[in-house]
This record gives sequence, structure tokens and C-alpha cells, in this order.
Amino acid sequence: MNSFDHQWQKLTALARSAPVDPAAAPFGFATRVAARAAAAPAVGPWAFFERFALRGLVVAAAFGVAAVAFNYSILTADQTDIYATGTTDSIVELLDIS
Amino acid sequence: MADEPFDLPGCLDRVRRRDQVASRQLVEHLYPLVIRIVRSHLPRRVAEEDLAQDIFLKMFTRLAQYQGNVPFPHWVSRIAVTTCIDQLRAQKRRPEFRWADLSENEAEVLSNVMTDERDVTPGDALAARELVHKLLGQLKPDDRLVIQLLDLDQKTIAEISALTGWNQTLVKVRAFRARRKLQKLFQELQSKEKS
Repeated sequence: MNSFDHQWQKLTALARSAPVDPAAAPFGFATRVAARAAAAPAVGPWAFFERFALRGLVVAAAFGVAAVAFNYSILTADQTDIYATGTTDSIVELLDIS
Repeated sequence: MADEPFDLPGCLDRVRRRDQVASRQLVEHLYPLVIRIVRSHLPRRVAEEDLAQDIFLKMFTRLAQYQGNVPFPHWVSRIAVTTCIDQLRAQKRRPEFRWADLSENEAEVLSNVMTDERDVTPGDALAARELVHKLLGQLKPDDRLVIQLLDLDQKTIAEISALTGWNQTLVKVRAFRARRKLQKLFQELQSKEKS
């Protein structure tokens, strides 16, 4: 055991020997805590997932923004050329009766 | 006449049925356990009663999650330890530690311990406890918790692991790191005392 270990063990042993303060609950403490607990809404086991709710929302929003960004060029592309096939009557084309 | 043993399972059943008398009895029964943990990990400027109240309120709100896999006092101890460490983490800055921060008794105890000149007396115990808390206040919250549990509460590595949820290797690493920091603090104080 080095010098520091010896000194630290001596100090903590002395600290452990200090008298402890009374451990009984102060007057009215238990009543106050019980009343506050009763006033609080009960929390079920599903509350475990609540801590992930905000993070989930942030991740979902990030995915949404990424999806729009990746498809931006498609969304803003000129839509007129898809009708420029020369045929406007799809039924005529389908039945080949022209 | 001896006191009747506390019927913890029965009390918990009644607490689950929102019985306020049982809730009060449960708080009174567990208060010594909780306040001992709070006092040994108490962050600066936090009133022990406020912290104890937070711990009990957490206990009541999470009661539905208690499965009975561990004894109920162990489960509450874990809530108490994690609440204390959350409070300690919230206090980001630790004031610099100087020899002048020590009271006369604390300085004398530290000097005696360092120089090994004379044996400390039982009257020095309170000063030693204050001194240890001041020294531990210089550590990171997680490291402080490990040293507190290991050297003051005399828990084993396995018990600390169960209480904190950290694996045993992590507990050992934190203890090692904390002792090195304490050693450095001792050396700094020694050099300041000499100067």
C-alpha cells in the first residue's frame, strides 16, 4: 500500500466513525409526500417508452426532410412532357381503333 | 414488548390500491434507508429533504414497474442513487479546491493524516467526514459515487454494480481514476501547505 492509499484509508476510516444524524423522517414529511404522490397521475409500464418519444419525433422529422430533399428534383421537374405522346385519347390507343 | 415487523408486501398492496395511510407508512419505513443514501451523495446546495422527497415521488410513480425481481429496498436504493447522481451531474462546475477552504479542524485532520505525526482522535471524525465530502466534491459525479460506495459505505464491487447498473470493469476503472485524481489533490494540497 503506497503512502496515498494509507492516508486515504486512514481518513475514510475516521470519516466513517463520525456519529450519524438522526434518520427518522421529519414531522409531516411522510404525510406530505403521500399526499403529493396521491395527487400525481398514475404512471403505467408504458411510461418507459415516453423518454424515447421526443427522440422518435426528431428522427421521424429528419427522415421526412431527407425524403423531400432526395425527391426534390422529381417533384419540381416539368410535368408537361408526360402528356406529350401525341395521343390524348387513351381508350382509342388501348383498343387500337384509330 | 418488541415492535411488530413491518409487513412490506401487504403495505405495497395497499399502496397500489391508492391507500394514503399505507403510502405514509411506506415512506416512514424507507426514510432511514433513503436519507442515508442522500446524505452520503448529497450535491452542494441541495436540501436533503427536497432530494428525499423527489426520490419517494419517483418511487410512487414507478411502483407499477416494480416486478419483485429484487427486494423492494434494493429497488428503492437504486432509484435513490440514480436520482442523486442525476443531481450531481446537473452541477457542472466544481469550485477549485484550496487549502483556505478548509476549516481549522479539517486542515488539522488533513495535516495529521498526511504527515502521520500523531494519531487522530475520535473528536476529529466529524471534521474528517466534512473533509472527505469536500475532496469527493472535486471528482466527476460517477467517480465520486464509486468512491463513496466503495470506501465510505464499504460496498463490494458487485454490490456497486448492482446498485448503479454499471458493469464491474467500469466500476473498477472509475475507482482507479478517482483515486488517481484524489492522489493528485492530496499532492497539490501538500505543496500548498508547505508554501
